[in-house]
Amino acid sequence: MRKYIARRLLLFIPTLLGASILIFVLLRLVPGDIAEILVYQSGTEQSAVQEKQIQEIRQEFGLDRPIAVQYVVWLGNALRGDFGYSYTQRRPVSEIVAERFPRSMELAILTLVVAVVWAIPLGVVSAARQNTWVDYVVRLVSISGLSLPIFFTGVLILYGLVRFFQWLPPLEFVAFTVDPMENLKQFVWPTLAQAYYISAPITRLTRSQMLEVIRQDYIRTARAKGLGNRSVVYHHALRNSLLPVVTFLGWWGGRLLGGIVIMEIIFAIPGMGTALVQAVNYRDYPTVQALVFVMSLIFLALNLIVDLLYAWLDPRIRYA
Amino acid sequence: MPEVADRAGIALGARGREARVRLGLAPRAGALARWLAWFAVTQPLGAIGAVIVLALVVTAILAPQLAPHGAKDAAFAPYLSPSAEFPMGTDNIGRDVLSRVIWGARLSLYVGLVSVAFGITLGALWGVVAAYFGGPADSVSQRLVDMLMALPPIILALSLMAALGQSVNNVIIALALLLIPTAARTLRSVALSIKETPYVEAARASGCSHWRVIFLHVLPNTFATYVVLFTVNIAYAIVVEAALSFLGLGAPPDEPSWGGMLTAGTQAMETAPWMIFFPGLAISLTVFGLNLLGDAIRDLTDPRLRGGLG
Repeated sequence: MRKYIARRLLLFIPTLLGASILIFVLLRLVPGDIAEILVYQSGTEQSAVQEKQIQEIRQEFGLDRPIAVQYVVWLGNALRGDFGYSYTQRRPVSEIVAERFPRSMELAILTLVVAVVWAIPLGVVSAARQNTWVDYVVRLVSISGLSLPIFFTGVLILYGLVRFFQWLPPLEFVAFTVDPMENLKQFVWPTLAQAYYISAPITRLTRSQMLEVIRQDYIRTARAKGLGNRSVVYHHALRNSLLPVVTFLGWWGGRLLGGIVIMEIIFAIPGMGTALVQAVNYRDYPTVQALVFVMSLIFLALNLIVDLLYAWLDPRIRYA
Repeated sequence: MPEVADRAGIALGARGREARVRLGLAPRAGALARWLAWFAVTQPLGAIGAVIVLALVVTAILAPQLAPHGAKDAAFAPYLSPSAEFPMGTDNIGRDVLSRVIWGARLSLYVGLVSVAFGITLGALWGVVAAYFGGPADSVSQRLVDMLMALPPIILALSLMAALGQSVNNVIIALALLLIPTAARTLRSVALSIKETPYVEAARASGCSHWRVIFLHVLPNTFATYVVLFTVNIAYAIVVEAALSFLGLGAPPDEPSWGGMLTAGTQAMETAPWMIFFPGLAISLTVFGLNLLGDAIRDLTDPRLRGGLG
């Protein structure tokens, strides 16, 4: 187990670095950089003066140096927690990240908790009563959850709220520490919309795993011993069915993060997602880099935790 | 010597051959109708999916004939509610929503098919070649896949769109790049097991070159997995395209992308809710159909893939 953990940890760092290099290089393939955007904003003709301005801005931001040098400088600073200055917001990027990070994490955690709490029992019930109306309803709900794109569900919920309850996304964001009730009110709808989407595959997976496990020999043995249905389903079958669900959660972490971007935009939550879309629009490299870096870090960490959890739960992985 | 029916089956691999027999794809012409009937009975949900997908394809192909107006014709009064003349109303700058939804089918399908074809094919080649040669090249390629997969998909797509600029073709490039690592990883694991089979060994022993073995013996046997990846990911690509356009970073706003239409709708949802309903319904129905069909194909080609990550 220790060896397995060490190996996974050793892979973690180069992968994260590689991903950051990738994003760094990608962003520098952009046809027009921030200097050009800032200078040509006014929409006037190109001129020698503007050319000079562009050169100056590039120098100020260090964009005139070779990409490799820029990356090393960036990485060195990033390791010390300094992600540079936002081009557009004129404040340290680390400040933006620190401000936005908890909001996005709150949405992610709420979504996961709600999704798991309602999806797993649904999957179990659906499998335990296979081919009854309960099963059909659950399956229909989950396949519709998979088919309704998250941005459509979000927009529909927002429409319902606006149309029937005259509710509008609040202009001011209230932190949980300031006013927990007011804060949760802002998170309820995006959480439910996303949980509906995330829970669909979890329900389906739980159901199919339960069905597979129920046919195993040891379940027959348990029944033959005279154990009741309840004990067999919850004690023997459920435990073994949840393994793939655990992996799945890590696997869908990426979609969860993507969904958070969309939910934040729809419900006007000033989290990392809204910041990212804004930064991409303005080609605010330092902000995009920092946000993508943090998101990849979360995503990789989630996968690492899931893998370790899986190895801990299933000895076959550990010793393979 | 393998028989003709079997030779066709080889393309699907050992498990695929069995599936092929069950699919009834024997080289007999009259079998098609019977097979369709059999499919509808054993996979009713899949059949519904197939009908929806067929309708989508027909709409996409016949868009110029079906759409009453052009997708970009802003020739009418804005915010007209649905009526006989405009069954889905008009949008914020006076374009017929029905026409845009119809043209949107073409755009979605085009983006979905082309990006998946590129992404899955390149990823498959990458995975199979890496698996076949193994060694340090394989390790390096695996790490590269890890790096690409370390970026959450939508986030990677967003950054790519920032780098490439907004256009339909760039959306296709971004989506293809998104799919390559997934395909590479899946096909690599399939190819690893094929590589160890006796027939590959036999091919090598009889003097086939490495590339001949890869293209004639290993690659064709990954076909079942390829087909499943292909169908499953079309729905995914269509949704991601719509999501990117929804965020204002996909197709340019005048293109009839369902996602972009939704964004325009959210800005006017109190006055013109039809601007969000119809494009949203179109995406949902499309994804629903593709999901059902994809599930059925997965069940048919490989029972072991059932209940996977779908």
